[in-house]
Amino acid sequence: MSQILTTLSPLERRRQRVGIGFITPTLLIIALILVYPVVQSFVMSFQQQGFAGDETTWVGTRHYDAMFASSRFWNALTVTVVFTLITIPVELAIGLGLAILMNESFRGKGFARLAVLFPWAFPTALNALMWRWMYNADYGIFNDVALKAGVIAEPVNWLGDATLAMMSMAVVSIWKTSSFMALIILAGLQAIPRDLFEAGRMDGMNRWQEFTQITLPLLRGSILVALVIRSMDALRTFELPFNLTDGGPVAATETLSLYAYKTIFEFVEFNSGAAIVVVQFAVIFALSLIYVFALRPKD
Amino acid sequence: MERRAGKGTYITVVISVVISFFPIVWLILTSLKNTAGIYSWPPQYWPDPFTLENYIYIFTETPELLRYVVNSFIVGVGCTALTLTAGGMAGYALARLRLRFSTGLMLMILSVSMFPPIALLPSLFQSFVNLGFLNSYLGLIVAHTGLFLPYAVFMLASYFATLPVEIEEAAQIDGMGFLQIFTSIVAPLSWPGFVATGLIIFIFSWNEFPLALVLMTQDAMRTAPVGISLYPGEFAFPWETISTATVIAIIPILVITAIFQKQILGGLTAGTGK
Amino acid sequence: MAQVSLRNLGKSFGGTMAVEAFDLDIADGEFLVLLGPSGCGKSTTLRMVAGLESNSTGEIWIKDKRMDHEEPKNRGVAMVFQNYALYPHKTVFDNMAMALKLQKVPKDEIEKKVRDVAEMIGLSDFLERKPATLSGGQRQRVAIGRAIVRTPDVFLFDEPLSNLDAKLRVKMRMDLQQLHARLGVTSIYVTHDQVEAMTLADRIVIMEGGVIAQVGTPREVYDEPANAFVAGFIGSPAMNFIKLNRAEKGWRSEGALELPELNHFDLGSASTVTLGVRPEHIEVLPPETPADAWTYDAEVMLAELLGADALLNLSVKGEELLVRVNGTEYPDGGEKIKIRLAPERQHAFDISNGTAFPRRA
Repeated sequence: MSQILTTLSPLERRRQRVGIGFITPTLLIIALILVYPVVQSFVMSFQQQGFAGDETTWVGTRHYDAMFASSRFWNALTVTVVFTLITIPVELAIGLGLAILMNESFRGKGFARLAVLFPWAFPTALNALMWRWMYNADYGIFNDVALKAGVIAEPVNWLGDATLAMMSMAVVSIWKTSSFMALIILAGLQAIPRDLFEAGRMDGMNRWQEFTQITLPLLRGSILVALVIRSMDALRTFELPFNLTDGGPVAATETLSLYAYKTIFEFVEFNSGAAIVVVQFAVIFALSLIYVFALRPKD
Repeated sequence: MERRAGKGTYITVVISVVISFFPIVWLILTSLKNTAGIYSWPPQYWPDPFTLENYIYIFTETPELLRYVVNSFIVGVGCTALTLTAGGMAGYALARLRLRFSTGLMLMILSVSMFPPIALLPSLFQSFVNLGFLNSYLGLIVAHTGLFLPYAVFMLASYFATLPVEIEEAAQIDGMGFLQIFTSIVAPLSWPGFVATGLIIFIFSWNEFPLALVLMTQDAMRTAPVGISLYPGEFAFPWETISTATVIAIIPILVITAIFQKQILGGLTAGTGK
Repeated sequence: MAQVSLRNLGKSFGGTMAVEAFDLDIADGEFLVLLGPSGCGKSTTLRMVAGLESNSTGEIWIKDKRMDHEEPKNRGVAMVFQNYALYPHKTVFDNMAMALKLQKVPKDEIEKKVRDVAEMIGLSDFLERKPATLSGGQRQRVAIGRAIVRTPDVFLFDEPLSNLDAKLRVKMRMDLQQLHARLGVTSIYVTHDQVEAMTLADRIVIMEGGVIAQVGTPREVYDEPANAFVAGFIGSPAMNFIKLNRAEKGWRSEGALELPELNHFDLGSASTVTLGVRPEHIEVLPPETPADAWTYDAEVMLAELLGADALLNLSVKGEELLVRVNGTEYPDGGEKIKIRLAPERQHAFDISNGTAFPRRA
């Protein structure tokens, strides 16, 4: 019996071969561009490459030891985590609100949809430049608006103070990605059968009760997906500080990605940089496994 | 019957729309000011005078800024074509060819899609140097394809799963091979899926930063986001040029998004909601 | 010579057998119907013959050639699908011509063949249209035309009429009958509709749980069901079943219905038996009819007029029986009547496995 089940008929074998043929180009590209470099980064993190023809040597955990002893690494890790923890809850709240708004029927919805999509479509790097100009201490519009509104008494250097710079960076991220959060939650919202709300109204629920009793519980899956995708994104934030603050002032907005980039390409320390990205990779990959687990086909 | 949108809804919508559009509007306004207007305090809210001199300057004096946009186009189109071809075939295999381990393969493809691009850089940069792939369109096209392929496979596989399978079975009985079924039946029938996926991949590639930054080291090969970001150089920020170049670089993306908003919206949310 | 021969055919999906030990020879020109409830394995069997599904066990022979390792296109089969499966982006002509084009048949020959078939099934005026502009019935005709154009050795039909409305279904059924009479091509037809099965089939294969429950002509499966499943599945409304235990004299139901010895069946030593009588085979008698061994007093619980017929729900000594009578004149609810269960119209089944007990000669 098991013999019958494990041996494939020639017809089946031919089809499996066709399927493998179809998927091979994709697997090859993924192996070359994603899997091999990550594995290679891992290997490199235990090596020291020599200069100009010198041999590459194994150095054990030397790079990791140095990294964990470096305050700049811990600073970058802290910056990354703090940035993630500040932005994600705010984005979730705004995203949830936007999603519920987009689920209503009102005139001018096409326009509103565009308002949600534009920030998503805007290249992060150029977005950061644009905001850098608006934050500008001498000519920026934010100072003018804040002065006129009486929030501040004199012009502020928004990107010049450690705490302020972090907050300013978080605002840019929130502007850019809350709408993406909203899109994912909106999809979940639209999957909730309408008659549930109708039944709720027949039971005498008001809007707030609808929200807490029906919407939120049924959105848990979508919210989880949105949270994990965005967290992984926030944990690898790179071009935002690259263009907004260059990691400054001092290293107040230097994220792990930016620190790794500088280590590799400015200090030309490929192996130390590899150790940093391995740690970053481990954190993000663990999160991604949660995501895949949450999304796995249920059968 | 749906609940009617009240005043509160409209007020919130208006505020959200204003916040969403404001930075883009401000950017465009900035690009239409002259240098004195840009560097004035308090800031000019309305360009005075209205001028196209920044645009004229870019088109006549800084060909490299236009070159960046062309590069982005070449890489974006190449990456989209390659991603849709390879991703379409893989998606078809996973959705339809009853590949053994297809669930496992899909999970694997989904999990590698989360790899942070920075983690690829130390090794990818060295490999590209060794292979002579640095500063080549093909190199960045392949790199971007690798980055976005998992996403495309997932989106297209979900799309194929919505087609009625009998049409493909009829084609099988009519005598088509699977490749022919894919090219002459599945692909024409799923063009909305390909359009949505292709647009999103194109936008991804256009906007991608870290790989484009590292794998294109020659100024003439840079893509728009990288080229414009590095344009300021070490000291001064020529905001009139930067803002104008940014407008030029984002216009294709914003136009595509505006025209195909429904397709993009549908594509972005496919497979995440349920 | 058998046109199609299925030998020990089986299919397992992840360890569960969807079809098992399917043995059948189908004669040249025969119209065979696979009938059964959903999930019985009838579609899987058809799809294995088509080659859309590989078989896990057994062999498929078509025209004395082993086919189960061949691709569908090499099997000499054509298939008509439930939802038509037309290429939506191609014209009716191209839909019908596709298989021939792929076989590299010369253009003028394709042209002639497609036009001939279109003429035959009344589609000549629609050849340049796209499927989306056609009605459901027209689309199904295109699907049938596409199959005919190929001049296959075997036609395969997978519930082809299920998506049509009731009126059209009757019309298409008759068209199919005429078509079969005219072309005489061996056909395997899957349906869950017993009316289609009874009207179209030379032989019916009734399947249950992946195995054949009975093979026979429409008359055979109706008159001599091989087991309780077939007896209950064929016929509408379904056959009445009464569970009987051997009593001191004769048989007795769980209620209080008493029956004399069932000597017209060869029951062996069975002490329990399921007795079956079709609703249309229970006779309703005038109250003054003299009683015999097979007449019973009954009360009409509910009378439902269907049109030409009426259904009576009867209570007979605690047993519920459904009777089908002429709809012009029938007793009302609450009336007391007399019925007769004619022995020659009875069926008896083994309670343990449902097998029919043979009738004594």
